[in-house]
Amino acid sequence: MPNAILDPTGATRMSKKAAASRAARRGSLAGARVGLLINTKQNARPFLEEVGRLLRDEYGVASVTDRTKLNFAVPEPEEVIKELAATVDVVVTGVGDCGSCSAAAAADSVVLESAGLPVAAIITDSFRATVEKMAELRGAADFRYATTAHPVAVLTEDQVKERAASVVSEVVRLLTDPGQNDSERADPENAE
Amino acid sequence: MTDLEQAPAAPAAPLDPDAAQAAIEYCYDQGWSDGLPLVPASQPLVDQFLAATKRDPEEVIGSLEQVGRDCTVYMAAVNAAMAGCRPGYFPVVLAAFDALMRERAARGGGFQSTSGPAPLIVVNGPVREELGFNTTGGAFGPGFRPNMTIPRAIGLIVRNAFGVHPHVLEQATQGVPGRWSICVAENEEESPWGPLAEDGGVTGGVSAVSVTLTRTMEFIDNRHTPDHEDVLRDLADSIGRLGPQIFPQTPVALVLCPEHAQMFASRGMSKAGVQDWLIERSGRTAGELRRAGKGGTLRQKGPGGHGEAADALGDEEFHRVLSSRGQIPVIVAGAKTAAISMVVRIFGEWSGQAVPVSEWQ
Repeated sequence: MPNAILDPTGATRMSKKAAASRAARRGSLAGARVGLLINTKQNARPFLEEVGRLLRDEYGVASVTDRTKLNFAVPEPEEVIKELAATVDVVVTGVGDCGSCSAAAAADSVVLESAGLPVAAIITDSFRATVEKMAELRGAADFRYATTAHPVAVLTEDQVKERAASVVSEVVRLLTDPGQNDSERADPENAE
Repeated sequence: MTDLEQAPAAPAAPLDPDAAQAAIEYCYDQGWSDGLPLVPASQPLVDQFLAATKRDPEEVIGSLEQVGRDCTVYMAAVNAAMAGCRPGYFPVVLAAFDALMRERAARGGGFQSTSGPAPLIVVNGPVREELGFNTTGGAFGPGFRPNMTIPRAIGLIVRNAFGVHPHVLEQATQGVPGRWSICVAENEEESPWGPLAEDGGVTGGVSAVSVTLTRTMEFIDNRHTPDHEDVLRDLADSIGRLGPQIFPQTPVALVLCPEHAQMFASRGMSKAGVQDWLIERSGRTAGELRRAGKGGTLRQKGPGGHGEAADALGDEEFHRVLSSRGQIPVIVAGAKTAAISMVVRIFGEWSGQAVPVSEWQ
């Protein structure tokens, strides 16, 4: 009997990730407190601020506050998540336009959703694969997010505003649409 | 050479190439390979790796928190075996991985980055000769088993233990040529100065490994001038060039050939003297940055950045890309055959910490 070929991935050590819960949606954004989680990438601030302005002017949100990610490349620490959960009702984050920051936006989103905050993450369309893999690793295989065409960093001020306007209805849908029901989502079989 | 590094005795039975090929294909089918054939790892082989270190096979030696994965000594051993390392290399692999994980950029998303950075592994001390590292000509390879397989082992650990695969969690736009294959054994014998390990805090000439993440390397061929300041000006030009400037500071590793290093030393320059000369003079003017669309680099806050004050900088104002010796580690490598040195662009900033191999034996 020959020796077995050994697995280098440590598969036996990996525990199955429990399905992450998704925050309950409110029917509309009227009166909601919106938090912008800005990842510091070029044009992320004007992009998200314009989304915030549109949410205030056209969807009746009560307030828009912003905070800057401490490090765009990795998920935010727990205290930031707690602070957001205590001060806002929904979060818009982005713009994910690189390998680490897109994945980090997905990871932040899953944690914020578990903390009860609906999230709309805005990612450039070059980074779908990395966002979906990170969400799957975090137990949210059916994670949904908004995309905008890559690149964003080279857009002019007016082009950024146009982009923000073109994505805002998807942002609203992500923040208000209950999607699949939570009992289906909580089934661990669906999370693999 | 220790017992662990002895080649296995000639087999009693004829070797079976068909079985070997089938095993190699099996490894490809599992998605474990970096594209080149792997050595299929078996328990007896991995046991030899584990015997080369006193560490517990279950000890966790590195974690990538954002993806929820970690690497144990055992997993590193399997990957090192697959990479083609000999068991005796294993403490160097572990020391290199330890040094790599001390890099902030490696822990903070570097493996996922569009930059596709490559670790630069630098080996010092007696282990270079004991394991048969190339310490002279062709320092960046190929041709020598430890120089090629040790960085490959690190790449396989990132792929298999951390689960960072190209096009998925790894999003390199083009990546760095030679990624997972850059391991330089410093030419201490022809260096006029102390080894890099000393600058990383490991003294006494013991074996040690230093690692930083890098983005590219550019050669400086300067072999006809007797004036060492001509060579320094040539180096400063490449160090300060615009292409890599996306932050106010742009650290480099300077890999000097023995001829350049000895020329500087013969003019009375220490390693620190070379570093200080280049820190002072490497950069571009604000106007040059602006004309390349990089005025925003000046406006960044933090070390070396000018913040809002950048807008008041005149076009002729000189912007230095380095501010400390830690941002320009100097290594001596290669043969004394031509005056060709390399500027290696660092991704982030070197931790400044060398790791003694003895910690991992």
